[in-house]
Amino acid sequence: MKDNFDAIISRNTLFWLLITNVAVLSPLYQQATLWSIGICAICFVWRVGIYLGKVAAPPKLLVTSLAVGAATTLALVSSEIGLLNALVNLLILGYALKYIEMREQRDVKAIVLVGYFLIALTLLDQQSMLNTLHLLAVVIINTGILVSVYQDKSNKIANLGFSVKLVLHSLPLAILLFVVFPRLGPLWMVPNIKSATTGLSDEMSFGDINKLTRSAELAFRVGFENPDGSTLGPANQDLYWRTLVMENYDGKTWRQDQSIKTIQRQAYFQKPQREQAVVTANNRKIEYMVISEPSHQKWLYGLDEAFSDNNQIVELPDYRLYSLRPIDQRMSYRVVSYPNNIMELTLKDNTKQLNLALPPNSNLKTQALAQRFAQDYPDPQTRINAMMNYFAEQAYYYTLSPPSVGEQQIDDFLFENRAGFCAHYASALVFMARASGIPARMVTGYQGGEYNPQAGYYSVYQYMAHAWTEVWLEGQGWQRFDPTAMIAPQRILDGFDATFDSQSSYLQDSPFSPLRMKQYPWLNELRQQLSSLDYYWSVWVLGFDEERKQQVLSKLLGDVTSSKIALMMILSFIIIALVIGYYAGLFSINRNDDPLNKRYNLICQRLAKKGITRPQGQAAHDFANHVQTTLAQQHPAIAREFMALSTAYMALKYQPLTALQTRQHMQQFMRLYRTLRLRLLRS
Amino acid sequence: MSTQHANKAQLGDNNPSWLQRLIPRSMAKRWDRWLSKRLPPKKHITLSHRSIFILPSGFGLFWMGLIVLLYLFGTNYQNNLVIGLSLLLASVFHTCIIYSYKNLAGLSFNAVNPPIAYAGDNTVFPIMLTGHSRDKYHDTSHQQICLQFSQQRHVRVKQLQQQTLATVPFTHPTRGYINPGRIKVSSNFPLGLCRAWSYVDLDIHHVIFAKPEACDILLTSQQSDNDSQYEHGKLRPGVDEYKGLRSYVEGESLKHVAWKQWAQDKGMLTKEFAEPEGLPVWLTLANTSGKDLEQQLSRLAWQVDKLSQTQQIFGLILGQTVINQHTGEAHRIACQTAIATYQAYTNINPNFSPSSTNQNAEVK
Repeated sequence: MKDNFDAIISRNTLFWLLITNVAVLSPLYQQATLWSIGICAICFVWRVGIYLGKVAAPPKLLVTSLAVGAATTLALVSSEIGLLNALVNLLILGYALKYIEMREQRDVKAIVLVGYFLIALTLLDQQSMLNTLHLLAVVIINTGILVSVYQDKSNKIANLGFSVKLVLHSLPLAILLFVVFPRLGPLWMVPNIKSATTGLSDEMSFGDINKLTRSAELAFRVGFENPDGSTLGPANQDLYWRTLVMENYDGKTWRQDQSIKTIQRQAYFQKPQREQAVVTANNRKIEYMVISEPSHQKWLYGLDEAFSDNNQIVELPDYRLYSLRPIDQRMSYRVVSYPNNIMELTLKDNTKQLNLALPPNSNLKTQALAQRFAQDYPDPQTRINAMMNYFAEQAYYYTLSPPSVGEQQIDDFLFENRAGFCAHYASALVFMARASGIPARMVTGYQGGEYNPQAGYYSVYQYMAHAWTEVWLEGQGWQRFDPTAMIAPQRILDGFDATFDSQSSYLQDSPFSPLRMKQYPWLNELRQQLSSLDYYWSVWVLGFDEERKQQVLSKLLGDVTSSKIALMMILSFIIIALVIGYYAGLFSINRNDDPLNKRYNLICQRLAKKGITRPQGQAAHDFANHVQTTLAQQHPAIAREFMALSTAYMALKYQPLTALQTRQHMQQFMRLYRTLRLRLLRS
Repeated sequence: MSTQHANKAQLGDNNPSWLQRLIPRSMAKRWDRWLSKRLPPKKHITLSHRSIFILPSGFGLFWMGLIVLLYLFGTNYQNNLVIGLSLLLASVFHTCIIYSYKNLAGLSFNAVNPPIAYAGDNTVFPIMLTGHSRDKYHDTSHQQICLQFSQQRHVRVKQLQQQTLATVPFTHPTRGYINPGRIKVSSNFPLGLCRAWSYVDLDIHHVIFAKPEACDILLTSQQSDNDSQYEHGKLRPGVDEYKGLRSYVEGESLKHVAWKQWAQDKGMLTKEFAEPEGLPVWLTLANTSGKDLEQQLSRLAWQVDKLSQTQQIFGLILGQTVINQHTGEAHRIACQTAIATYQAYTNINPNFSPSSTNQNAEVK
């Protein structure tokens, strides 16, 4: 239908558009390219100029050519900055250009709709509670534009106030819908935001883990769901969060093998298969939920041996969990781990070859040492134990700032420096095991976790990154051996914080990290409280899935049936509508609660008790005269005061008055009302 | 006070929109019958749930599209916050429906006597709107209300006070009795997502005077025609008929001073008397030239106005209708009404009553 309202954009609307433009675009600064920001800034300044009446609207030709130019440029660079980023930029530019070019209300509406979409794009990347509140405010401002179009108020704040009211009134229903609405899996492939990866990388040389120990960033959080309801997980020395398995070593760097990389690449189309766990009463299982922070990588974290029934996660043959899409936003997934499972009871020949391979002519001293071990301990099990003990018996040191190594890395470390951290020890052990004929490989991940007793979850930070080894033993499969535990047992038993001074490691580069509060007990408690709030946010909002939905609904309704849900929805719908209607003033339409009338009528009622009733429809003036004549003898004071009250009442009701006069009459009316009320009660 | 604004964008007089043309005529008739049964004409109408219709506007459909788009977007990126945003927008829509209902509910309409209007001119029908504007709910007092007769321009009431007079325009009526039909009352408040509307039939009946057309004044005296036409029926100062009051001029007879007014402190005034000059004269349809009846009537209408301006006494003979000689505003209205309604059917706004259009055609 035709919109009948004037097509002219009001000044209030223009003002709110200025505010909204900044509010919508500023949170997107990370995705915007430099020149998109530049064009946005020019558009904004131009619009301010138009608002102040200094410049004219730009010619249509200029805007059109700018738009075409921007679109072409973006199409050309899209492969470089990523498809989604290109789309975001295109939308940003379209928004900014439409903004200076708008002439009619139709344009304003288009801007508002695109504004909501831009807010949604921001939500892809920024999901913390504070950001969400911030973006809710942006939604309110964006809605305020529409209010200013349809609400005739010269007051800009009143527009915003009404917008706040509208959005807040809509929140309860939105929350209800949020709980009840079905959560589907992704319907089709979508492009991802391209941005720098964080955390572990799929190759490791000696310096890499060291870099991570300087980072106080959160890597992921884990909430254990034990059958007895407790949230405590296994002991710290069992918290090995397996993330990557590296089998190739070229003398400098550990890498994933090509075969597993191929499986990872094709995972979306061809789901890799892994033997399911044997579920018996004896086979202990651990259930937990992991909430991963965005790493922009696809690998996930899990304890041995991890399974997940999430349809976005595949189980790789090297016993890892792998996401089908990069983790660009907080992602939560459920994991079931069977710590007693045997991983790969029979080793295939090619895998065995792969895990025995050594680069030619490298680290000959170490190879010689391994040969000695092989002669002394023919049984692989005892041999590997002896190797582990070797680290404990010899003078080796654990340090986060090890001396540099030369061409023969492991030789230098084992026989010269004798100081290093997890990566050094793990590399040395794998190398020695392989050299002595035992299949072995490098595993990286995280070790430990900080327990938050308030919300009952573990936080794993980047500085907890760790490297260890896995050795394949006949009849036992892959077994975890961590040489670091032999040199710095505290690191494994009590965690990173017990071993290292935080100031010289992960807090060195982050002066404002909240982890600094750890030194002060009460501040630490505050920090934990804040982070538990964030945890609840992640679990109940960001990670709200079908399972949580069932949990909530069964708590609300008992056993969940669709008819019960429908009934609940209908009831809530009606209740919410009634409440909104009440606040909108829908039910007070016919109620006369003008304070002036109310007070005047009260006095009339009191007079009626005295026997002077006011006939229906009698004018106030006539009634006052009637009272005057009736009461003049008995109660001259009442008669006089009622006359004055009626005069003030009539003046306020029917005469055109200035503000000052209104106030004076009102004061007079109130004064007489109070005295008369009391006098009528007493006499 | 209230501000009103007539839209510049004008709809064609008899040019239904493509949407209306799509609806079959029988459906339109049935809808019309249903409406007149549900919302019968009344002098005083208050809107309530019985009479308010709400449907999404075009923008509202786009809004719904955005909701679906965001839901798909949120699902594909497995982002609960985007899904939440889409559900919030859906919920805002729901809130808007309630607010737009509230915007019209409780609004009362009263027709006020419309001004004199000539055929072909733009006229207005003033409607008194009474609402419930209370300080507590100032956000949601009735606002942005469009009033419009079918196929006519609209008037917009931006913010309704306790009482607001809206002048609803009506363009180019034809002469005769007029019933402008239902007023469409609509509002897109608060966000333009949905449109609440209603039809109000205030049972307005009015007479549209024939369009005056300048011509020579042709007065006929039935008794004699010895004097020049212009002298007939003129008033000259005399003693027979009381004409009015004018301020006293020094030296005038004290007999004619209006003492009653003097006593009321209105100053010295003289009563004026006049008497008709010459013989009684008539305006007749038969003697008025013109190519057809309409032109004849138009010329008559012009003469009636002209003669009334010069305060001449005249009578009117329209076929069987005879209006005796007189002068003054009441006489003018009587004559014009007689001219306007001469052989005219009730001029009902054609769009609302398909049946009446045929009658109109018969007149021509």
